[in-house]
Amino acid sequence: MIAPRTVLTRLLTHPAFILAAIAALFFGCSWLSGGTVQILTFLMLNILLAQSMNLLTGIAGQISLGHAGFYGMGAYASGILMKTAGLPFVVSIPLAAAIGALSGYLVSFPAGRVREFYLAMMTLAFGLIFREVVREWDGLTGGAVGLSNVPSTTLKNLSVFGVTLDAIDYFRIVVIVTAIVMWLVHNFIQSRHGRAFYAVHASEVAAGCLGIPRAGTKRQAYTIGAGMAGLAGGLYAHMIGYLGPESFDLARSIEVLVTTVVGGLGSMAGQILSAIVFTFLPEKLQVFAQYQFIVYGAILAFTLILLPRGLAGLLLLPPRFIKPASLRRAGTAGVAIRPVDSDRNAALVVEGVTMRFGGLTAVDDVSLELHPGRITALIGPNGSGKSTLVNVVSGIYQPTAGDIRFFGESIAGLPDHRIAGKGLLRTFQDPRLVPRFTVRENLLLGAHRRYRTSGLAAALSLPSAVREEAAFLASVDAVTRMAGIADVADRPLESLPYGYRRLVEVGRALLAEPRAALLDEPAAGLSEAEMALLARMIRAMKDAGLMVLLIEHHMDFVAELVDDVVVLDSGRIIYHGDIEGMRKSPAVIEAYLGTSETEGAHA
Amino acid sequence: MEDFLTLLLAGVSVGAVYGLIAIGLNLTFWTTRTMNFGQGSVMMLCAMLTANLIARGWMQGLAILAALAVIVVLMVFTEMYTVRPALKIEGSMGWAVSTLGVGIILQGCAALWFGSQAVAFPDVIFSAVDDVVIFGVHVSLQYIAVVVLALALVVVFELLVRGTVWGRAMRAVAMDQDFAAVIGIPVRAIVLGSYIASGLLAGISGILVAQIGGTVDPAFGFDLVIFGFVAAVLGGMGSTPGALAGGIVAGVLQQMVGGYISSAAQHGMAFALLILILVVRPQGLFGQREINKV
Amino acid sequence: MTLKRRELLSFTGAAAAGGTLGFARRARAADPIKVGFTTALTGPFNEFGEGYKRGIEIAIEKINKAGGVLGRPIEIGVMLDDQLIPDRSVQNMRRILDDKSIVGLFCPSGSGPTLAVIDMIAADGRPTMNPQAQTPTVIYPNGPGGKPRPNVYTFSIQNDIEANFMAALLAKKFTRIGLLNESTGYGKTGSELIKAGIAAANKDAVVTNESYNQKDQDMTAQLVRVQRARSEALMVVGLGADMAVIRKNMTRMNMTIPFFTSAGGLSPPYVEGAGDLAAGTKGSQFKKISTVPPAPETKEFLDAYKAKYGADRLWGTDPEVPTPSMGGTVATGYDGMLVMADAFRRAGTTDAAAVIKAMDATKGFPGCNCTYEFTPEKHHAIKIGDLTTYEFVKKDGRMTLVPTAI
Repeated sequence: MIAPRTVLTRLLTHPAFILAAIAALFFGCSWLSGGTVQILTFLMLNILLAQSMNLLTGIAGQISLGHAGFYGMGAYASGILMKTAGLPFVVSIPLAAAIGALSGYLVSFPAGRVREFYLAMMTLAFGLIFREVVREWDGLTGGAVGLSNVPSTTLKNLSVFGVTLDAIDYFRIVVIVTAIVMWLVHNFIQSRHGRAFYAVHASEVAAGCLGIPRAGTKRQAYTIGAGMAGLAGGLYAHMIGYLGPESFDLARSIEVLVTTVVGGLGSMAGQILSAIVFTFLPEKLQVFAQYQFIVYGAILAFTLILLPRGLAGLLLLPPRFIKPASLRRAGTAGVAIRPVDSDRNAALVVEGVTMRFGGLTAVDDVSLELHPGRITALIGPNGSGKSTLVNVVSGIYQPTAGDIRFFGESIAGLPDHRIAGKGLLRTFQDPRLVPRFTVRENLLLGAHRRYRTSGLAAALSLPSAVREEAAFLASVDAVTRMAGIADVADRPLESLPYGYRRLVEVGRALLAEPRAALLDEPAAGLSEAEMALLARMIRAMKDAGLMVLLIEHHMDFVAELVDDVVVLDSGRIIYHGDIEGMRKSPAVIEAYLGTSETEGAHA
Repeated sequence: MEDFLTLLLAGVSVGAVYGLIAIGLNLTFWTTRTMNFGQGSVMMLCAMLTANLIARGWMQGLAILAALAVIVVLMVFTEMYTVRPALKIEGSMGWAVSTLGVGIILQGCAALWFGSQAVAFPDVIFSAVDDVVIFGVHVSLQYIAVVVLALALVVVFELLVRGTVWGRAMRAVAMDQDFAAVIGIPVRAIVLGSYIASGLLAGISGILVAQIGGTVDPAFGFDLVIFGFVAAVLGGMGSTPGALAGGIVAGVLQQMVGGYISSAAQHGMAFALLILILVVRPQGLFGQREINKV
Repeated sequence: MTLKRRELLSFTGAAAAGGTLGFARRARAADPIKVGFTTALTGPFNEFGEGYKRGIEIAIEKINKAGGVLGRPIEIGVMLDDQLIPDRSVQNMRRILDDKSIVGLFCPSGSGPTLAVIDMIAADGRPTMNPQAQTPTVIYPNGPGGKPRPNVYTFSIQNDIEANFMAALLAKKFTRIGLLNESTGYGKTGSELIKAGIAAANKDAVVTNESYNQKDQDMTAQLVRVQRARSEALMVVGLGADMAVIRKNMTRMNMTIPFFTSAGGLSPPYVEGAGDLAAGTKGSQFKKISTVPPAPETKEFLDAYKAKYGADRLWGTDPEVPTPSMGGTVATGYDGMLVMADAFRRAGTTDAAAVIKAMDATKGFPGCNCTYEFTPEKHHAIKIGDLTTYEFVKKDGRMTLVPTAI
């Protein structure tokens, strides 16, 4: 028995069904009454708006509280450009989208420097300022009285290439535009860009260490989301013919937010369902109007808690972030890891690095070197500074003193995503993965920095983009086999036990084709079998010519793998050499076992 | 000169209320890194309940206390059923949406119970005609009363936070919740307490503003909470004196722009100020940059 | 025999014909004349929508009690709620217009929603009465001097009429005038027109114009600017609740200059908010409805309203005399319905073209707010003479509006 959710999802996302629905709307509208055509046009616009907010809030996790401002920017832009500047429809609509996108970019400008919560407030302030400016700048916008006589189907003065459009023609255009935009967005989401959006949402730190620029990604999300809203606004203006500031106030932003939340943050199909509900409900239930505030408020207050995935969570399968077409092309001929080209400069040199936090010195004048094809273990009691050192090298902290050179280039002080972009990858003590992604999607995230095709190519689903994704998917497949997790590759990570997550995290690092890998306690909590798989992966790294630093407590695990050992205590190196020597070093013994007085580990 | 003083006093008075709202917002932000986006409706509800009870013949003081009591219950509900569960869910800002939702429910309920039209708010502290003449300028006692009350509340609050055990406990929770729990501080109670205190501050602010304006309606409060937020950000989200200073700066700036440049620009100015601060100096005038441990 | 058959035939024929005729008459009597509208029935502005709906309903009761129009009863065919949100008004009006059985329409409350739907209505052509929107472009898309939309007639006080009334008033007594307006369509157009009117009456007049947002709690900046210009009087174009805030603000600043408000401000919310401070405030409003003793047609309406709803908030504080703003909230709906029904009667049909011709010939029709006259060039009814100045005065412990000279 196939679950109803699967059936429903397959039906709704089946290309034949979608095309049939579009065709039904496109051709069937000539039999419908004027009122129905109009409300269906509103429905298309609401779908566009919901999708735009879904991209921004549901996928990229950026709360937009002034979305009606972006909608309004597009509406007024297109209305004014057509009415006052006489631009044709086919120019003013794309301009509306562009102006919307620009305002999204500007609003998100401080994205790198402030917490998300402040960004949310910025969107709120933007929405309010927009309304104020529109109201006061009457020369341009008509002010509070509004902008009348916008070329529109209502006034019957909207023409494209000399043909006057009526409500039905316009509806057809809007249907096609909506369908195309949704197709583009769908492809975009199922590409590395959509996955990057979601990764930044789910775990900012992990995203950075994979080479995903956080601020840039957030800005991208705002720009695209606002652009879509602007497009919807432009289409709205020429349907209705009159623009007033009251149509773009906070209440409208809240309506869009409610629609998106109910649809299910992250799900495109859910947004369509929700838009249908919220377009028709106020119309059908006139009595609803009185209780509307209470109903909307209750929806916002409790949906995220009781039904976090909204309608989509209830009725459909979770959305996936890999194109089925790419998956089909992937094949099984992938390679988990390719040998790295040799380079004379190949080395990671840590020189005299010190890290101080206020009065606390976590890392004290540490120097070490990593070379290709060698695994170095970093050992020390708890709190000796191992993780801090890795954090400094990988760019999460800026060192207080000292230098770090990677392939001859100084990287001290660079942000984490830039360092990751150069091929220096690290894993975390506490796996930073995206719980909702499947194993496959999480692994694919590792390859992010290696992609060459652009967002546009991904959105258009160009063959080059599909081929590239397929190639990486083949590698992903190979890694799953190497890590022994091929059978669970399509299960969401959150449904799998802890050991799997560690394996996925290391596997993900493999996919980034790193030249250096810093692994922070990867074996903690693994079973014997899992440790064997892990060891296999690490040896594969060594064989491929990577530089590997392995932080570990598990002596047996380490002993078989490593070439040399660095021991830290209280931030200083107390031993550097091979394992045998370490076992005999008095400094190490003292650090671990203490002197005759009870000491314990230093902080 | 008289104009300048009039504008200044109005600005300080209105700004002091923004500061009060800001402190309320700060409180919950310290202890839980969340903020009640429906704070404006809390202000509105308190003012409307007070007006309603007084209209029914209740004694003014009693009406205010009763309204504040309702606010306390409301804040407990908000924290327990909309904020705490949202925080448990991983990932950003569900609490923003859910507290906003509560605010909207309140607005709807108020419209249903009290009607959507504005309701008259009686004079609680002095009346509009009461004034005092300083240097030949008529200074409204209502404004002075608001400033004095706001300042008094801030002083009391700061004393509580710095001087009492509860205050220290709150600062501990603000710094590190888990650590505070481990050393035996009743974190749940403190968090709940911060929400209640924040609601009380909002309620009192609502009454103060309503009595200046003279009317309350269900949509009252929304813009004010934005101004409160501007004040909080301007002063720096961590600091109580900062919040008050931020509020007064915002209030005075608003009045000066309105009085000397353009009354139309007045409203938008506060929002523009918010964006400016967030871009140029996100930690505000008195705040500190945050460092997160990874 | 032949005669008998012929008689029988003719008798049967006559009976059949008579029966058919009688049958047809009964069918038509059961087939009501339907009117439709969308307005703010709920939400923060519902006093306007609820108000004019009551006016229409009372008018319909009166008409049907007298046998209906053209032998048919009138009824409200479609009544939709838009909460004054323009998008909703558009959707609702589209639905109403699709219903071809609706033969008469009313505009939504408020200029915003009305402007959003007016082009749709004009394109449709069915006779439409505008009870409350005051922006002149609703009726005269090319400005007050131009041609009106053929099928729309207004029963409200148009902004330009009110503005001219107030401007003439103010310019006569003052040369330095402070003018505040709310930042809505109503406020903006009102103040523009007043400024123009004052300038026309006295080119040396100094007008200081400031705007405020609805629901602002503090208007000190605006008032300071007015004071700085040494204004001799203050006029505000806005609604009652904000008027109260302004009044209190003025008192706190010890501003004692004469205070005038537009019709929208002379309403119950102002008195509720300002209390005793409302005393001395003056403004213009409908004259006829509050005239004592009331004209017979006005009395008929007032008695019917009081019987149904009592002396409620829309009626005002004086149980004997309604507050003049009731002319705008309720009576315009009443008058509008009566005039429309009269046009149906005179046209002898509900076909749009004929009804419009009849509307354009309306002359001397007695309504609550004025005596109605429309022509093909003039689609507004309230003239300056139908307005008068009122002043708030404390009478018998209540704040009441009393007609006054300026």
